[in-house]
Amino acid sequence: MTAPAGGSTRTAVWIVVPIAVVLSLLILLLATREPATERAINFELRGEIAPLIEGEGLDGVWFDIDDHSNQWVVVNFFSTTCVPCVREHPELVEFEARHAPLNDVVVVSVAFDDAAANIRAFFDDFGGDWPVISRDTGSIAVAYGVVAVPETYLVGPGGVIVEKLVGGVTADQLDGLILSAGGA
Amino acid sequence: MRPRVLSWLTLVVVSLSVLVFVAVDERSPATNADKAYALATEFACPVCQGQSVAESDVPVARTIRREIRVWVDEGRTDEFIRAQLVANFGEDIDYTPAASGVTSLVWILPVVVGAVALGGLAVVFRRWRDEPDRTANADDEAIVAAARRRR
Amino acid sequence: MSNSSLGAASVALGLAAAACAVVVVVMGLAGRRPGWFREARLLTWVMMFAATAAVVVMERALITRDFTVAFVAEHGSSQTPALFNVATLWSALEGSILLWTLVLCGYVVAVVLKFRTQGDDPMLAWALLTLFLVAGFFFALMVGPSAPFDRFAPPLGYDGPGPNPLLQNHILMAFHPPILYLGYVGFTVPFAFAIGALCTGRVGEGWLLATRRWTVMAWGYLTLGIVLGAWWSYETLGWGGYWAWDPVENASFLPWLTGTAFIHSVMVQERRGMLRVWNLSLVISTFALTILGTFITRSGVLQSVHAFVESGIGPWLLTFLAVIVIVSLGLIGWRGDELRAPGKIDSPVSREGAFLANNVLFAAFAFVVLLGTIFPLIVEAIDGRTISVGNPYFERMTMPIGFVLLFLMAIAPVLPWRKTTGEVLSDRLHWPAWIGAGSMVAAALLGARGWSPTLAFGLGGFAGGSALRQVVLATRRQGWRGLVGRTNGGMVVHLGVVLIAIAFAASNAYVRQGEFTMAVGDTAQISGHTLTYEGSRLTEYSNRTEKSARVLVDEAKVYEPAIAQYPFAGRTIGIPSVRSTWTDDIALSVLTFPEGSGDTVVLRATVQPLIVWLWIGGLVMAAGTVLAVVPGKRRRPTAPTSAPPTSHEVLL
Repeated sequence: MTAPAGGSTRTAVWIVVPIAVVLSLLILLLATREPATERAINFELRGEIAPLIEGEGLDGVWFDIDDHSNQWVVVNFFSTTCVPCVREHPELVEFEARHAPLNDVVVVSVAFDDAAANIRAFFDDFGGDWPVISRDTGSIAVAYGVVAVPETYLVGPGGVIVEKLVGGVTADQLDGLILSAGGA
Repeated sequence: MRPRVLSWLTLVVVSLSVLVFVAVDERSPATNADKAYALATEFACPVCQGQSVAESDVPVARTIRREIRVWVDEGRTDEFIRAQLVANFGEDIDYTPAASGVTSLVWILPVVVGAVALGGLAVVFRRWRDEPDRTANADDEAIVAAARRRR
Repeated sequence: MSNSSLGAASVALGLAAAACAVVVVVMGLAGRRPGWFREARLLTWVMMFAATAAVVVMERALITRDFTVAFVAEHGSSQTPALFNVATLWSALEGSILLWTLVLCGYVVAVVLKFRTQGDDPMLAWALLTLFLVAGFFFALMVGPSAPFDRFAPPLGYDGPGPNPLLQNHILMAFHPPILYLGYVGFTVPFAFAIGALCTGRVGEGWLLATRRWTVMAWGYLTLGIVLGAWWSYETLGWGGYWAWDPVENASFLPWLTGTAFIHSVMVQERRGMLRVWNLSLVISTFALTILGTFITRSGVLQSVHAFVESGIGPWLLTFLAVIVIVSLGLIGWRGDELRAPGKIDSPVSREGAFLANNVLFAAFAFVVLLGTIFPLIVEAIDGRTISVGNPYFERMTMPIGFVLLFLMAIAPVLPWRKTTGEVLSDRLHWPAWIGAGSMVAAALLGARGWSPTLAFGLGGFAGGSALRQVVLATRRQGWRGLVGRTNGGMVVHLGVVLIAIAFAASNAYVRQGEFTMAVGDTAQISGHTLTYEGSRLTEYSNRTEKSARVLVDEAKVYEPAIAQYPFAGRTIGIPSVRSTWTDDIALSVLTFPEGSGDTVVLRATVQPLIVWLWIGGLVMAAGTVLAVVPGKRRRPTAPTSAPPTSHEVLL
């Protein structure tokens, strides 16, 4: 760093070599990193007990996920302004219709950063007859670690989170997951 | 010289007492909103690029902000809130690297490097002190004199 | 001829000219070509012509909305306002490299003109060789992975999306990047001369004197660029923030730190002939850090609001960085011991001792910033975890360094060279120290609380008093000339730094933020200010639709933060509105207009004191740099290095 007077004539080499090693490591590090956008998003909850979901549905009926511990629960986080949410909605309707007679699955929608009035209009327009929690959903979303809607969590009987699906689901996909997890 | 010494003494006393006063006196205690805002700046918005929860306007940041406020209002500790968010969103939501394990390096390395640099400086200064002063000899004086004449 | 082919031809011409210039200089160095400098000069002009032509063609394509050029198709739009149409050039990767190249060619031309009488100097030859290689690299980038003139076949009626809306809603965007590039690229010149000095083994101060002004100029541009960037963030991003320790911000800050260290320690070399290797290393690191910054900004390895989209340019820049590091370290290892100067620093409490301390601190600062920036990558490489390093880390680590730097800034300007006595220090620092103590008392009386901001005000006052003392003494002695020259200009820069330090401490420590949901007529209180919502308004522009909230601030004036929808870009952004006064700023931004609940707005208000002084401080720093570049009073070589205190000084 500073140039001390005197000393052996090899001082420069002794200083340069360790610096060179550190810098080579740095360049190697930068060269081997994937672009940030391709790194996976964390999913911390697989295999964990699903966080509590309770609240008043649009129809005024109280929903509590613990009342459904012997069923599969599909938890769908959505908002009315999100395009993929609109796109996946018919699939959820179809899925719910398939399972309604069997009573083995319950779908619950949780609004994400959206107004209750919008939610009501959304379900009036696009159909869907299942519990929809529209008020004070922030804590639920934070508990599930929702970062961007739509996000769908598949909760198995016993309340354990089996899978997380990002960016829209299809009815067949959900059925496939339930089947491969040994249910229904 | 006396008044000057007195003046410096007064200065030190004044400065220290002001510092102690401002450190001890809390005229306006932080409100819950302030606490929540300060906390929100310490977490990364999970979907944004390089913005904190306090800064971003995307829904998830708004949601987390509100939740932090709820926790603060409930009287939760900072540690609880930190642990909750890390558990739900992953370690990378926390802007403060943990002071344990591999991440502690980010705290330790600068201190180590700083200590080495200071130690190096101390060594160099010791060497310089022990080195004899160079004094101008007659030849040097002659060169300087010649240079002066030329101007 | 189409814009695409013209542009591509210009770029190819530039690359060819740079390559020829490299060959010519190499032959000149080998002694085979006596007239090499004349030819190299000619080729420099060809390069400059090529770069200018490429930029002109691109601007023409942007202005005429020639969508057959892929860059225009991807980033231009017929909806973009004229000024931002021009600025679209530097809003995306390929164009930014083009601008970079143009600036670099401008600097090479300036070097060739400045040193036109020294054509037979091998050091100049090596420096020019370095410059041509760097320029050649950037031209090669534009031929290879970052080709700006790729073709595109637009379907009928095609219109582009326009630049990122955030980049086209503020006038500062037109100035911040070019000025930043003038700074970044400017460090290439001292770097080239450092390489020249190492290659020729000309260990004297020649290269330093030759490039001193260039370095100071580049530093000034970089400073101004960074401050304008902070200002732009503050005005457009809407959270009241101006500095977020974001990787890209850090990337511009790193060369600034090492550059600042250099322009201080270079004075030790000039005066005492010492620290040669260290100074060479600083110049080289500064340049290497600009390339590292370019890599970080453009490779997508780190996440940032400011990053360009990921591109194939990363490996090229990294290879280039590796070459710079290998060549420089090799040269230093080879020449280092020859470069060592005799001489010693007699006392740590002396001007040179203070500069040494300054350098250790700036180096430590740069180390902390670099480590924090790349640390997530290190952890990921070691055990695959993803972590973040942000604000809390940088603030905690850099705050102590900042305090010591402020303290040093207070005492260093009054320290004589070689050694000093307590009496001299007591004389010279007496009033500055009282100014410092006075600022603390004043701050406490005005309501400042908390030890760290108060200490910052105190040290800031101390450093400011010290700089002011030097300026006053110099102007008393020399009249207006007491304001120009490096030392005096430097003191003006210090005053700017003090303003920024105080504003930074105040705005960070006393920020208040609130989110309010308001219906028409509602009022909200924040930090003693009253906000009244008066309703919303919809405005159509050629390229966007704005829904603005009319907010009456303190019952005096209406401010209109808005949300703008850019249909072509398919994006919605917030447009904050800021009420600035000398004492505090209120930044307003609209979070949403919730639907289905009448005319309601969710408003965010951020109140921060003294913000305006950040920008004033930046301008003072820029002005000080200009003053520093104006030649000051020539000091006779035989003049005593540190004048004994005059009667004025004793009085002060």
